[in-house]
Amino acid sequence: MNDQGISRLEVHLGRLLLGGVLTAATCLAIGLAIWLLGASRGAANVLLTAGLMVLMATPILRVVVSLVEYVRMRDWFFVTTTFVVLIVLFVTMGVAVMNARG
Amino acid sequence: MTLSTVLSVMAAGAVGGCLGSLLGLGGGVFLVPFLNVVLGLDFKVAAAVSLMTVIATSSAVSAGTAGRQLINLRLGMLLEIASTIGGLTLGVLVEHMSEPLLYKMFAIVTAAISVLMLTRLERRNVLSADVDPGPLGGRFHDDESGREVVYRVRRLPAALFASLVAGGISGALGIGGGILKVPILNAWCGVPMRAAAATSALMIGVTAVSSVPIQYARGYIMPPVAAAAVLGVLLGSRAGFWFGGRARAKWLKLLMAMVLGSVSVLYFVKGLR
Repeated sequence: MNDQGISRLEVHLGRLLLGGVLTAATCLAIGLAIWLLGASRGAANVLLTAGLMVLMATPILRVVVSLVEYVRMRDWFFVTTTFVVLIVLFVTMGVAVMNARG
Repeated sequence: MTLSTVLSVMAAGAVGGCLGSLLGLGGGVFLVPFLNVVLGLDFKVAAAVSLMTVIATSSAVSAGTAGRQLINLRLGMLLEIASTIGGLTLGVLVEHMSEPLLYKMFAIVTAAISVLMLTRLERRNVLSADVDPGPLGGRFHDDESGREVVYRVRRLPAALFASLVAGGISGALGIGGGILKVPILNAWCGVPMRAAAATSALMIGVTAVSSVPIQYARGYIMPPVAAAAVLGVLLGSRAGFWFGGRARAKWLKLLMAMVLGSVSVLYFVKGLR
């Protein structure tokens, strides 16, 4: 087991999650402010939607980065584990797209 | 919707986020009843908005804990297979479930966990520092005792099953699901409370993402309400994280049991109406 690799991965993922949540929060805060002021419905909707999308994308990106790191560490058990989680998330996306069309 | 609605959602999110990051619950336990009962939103809308805040809590709390070796990344990823399958399944099925059924399920689960927590207050699950933690265990420095803490993971099937159920609860009820995983990881699987809470906090984000895009596509997310809730929860979880390093594990468990008990009573009453 590569404990140093795991520690480094934990730090990387922490930065990724922080970046994602700060970006999402900034979009949502500005979007909500514009929405409350009633200044521009279009701009408010774009920012609110972008914020929610970034929020949802962040944990998915976390799984993708983990997968890349486990490949680099040649930790095949966790490459498999992480890949299975990604497959489940892709199925979710598929169902969501079907719901949006239906 | 008015400014006061948005501000009250934000305040409710702040309270939920604070308690959520202290307890590894995700905060939805408070937010769902508030949006549903106080603001009169449809339960499924309340649950979907709450799941958005669960993602935010997960990212923010995990970003704060990362680097302290409290998060067990390997165990987390393994359990996420079960929790995302649970989330996806119930996220699809929830459209066909009645609200009283959801309330009753939730009441039973929270009551059971509350009792479990109260009977396990003194458990520590700590080995001496020279023990090999095995492939799934871990080690971290505990601020409370000032010692290196080592643990092994026991009863993995129980942890996987708990994650599956927790994922389902997340998809159906809009709460993090840490509500179920943390006590079971702690009481049955040998993971110390802080490591269980940190690992669960990381897991609930991906678990929520296994169902929330479906609710988003169904139109259950009201963007301004979701934005207010997310921003409130982020502020609250900051405060909770600050308290978290100072609170004692025993009091954390006691607080958790009391919170779960109250939520359970609320949902029993609602489910029986």
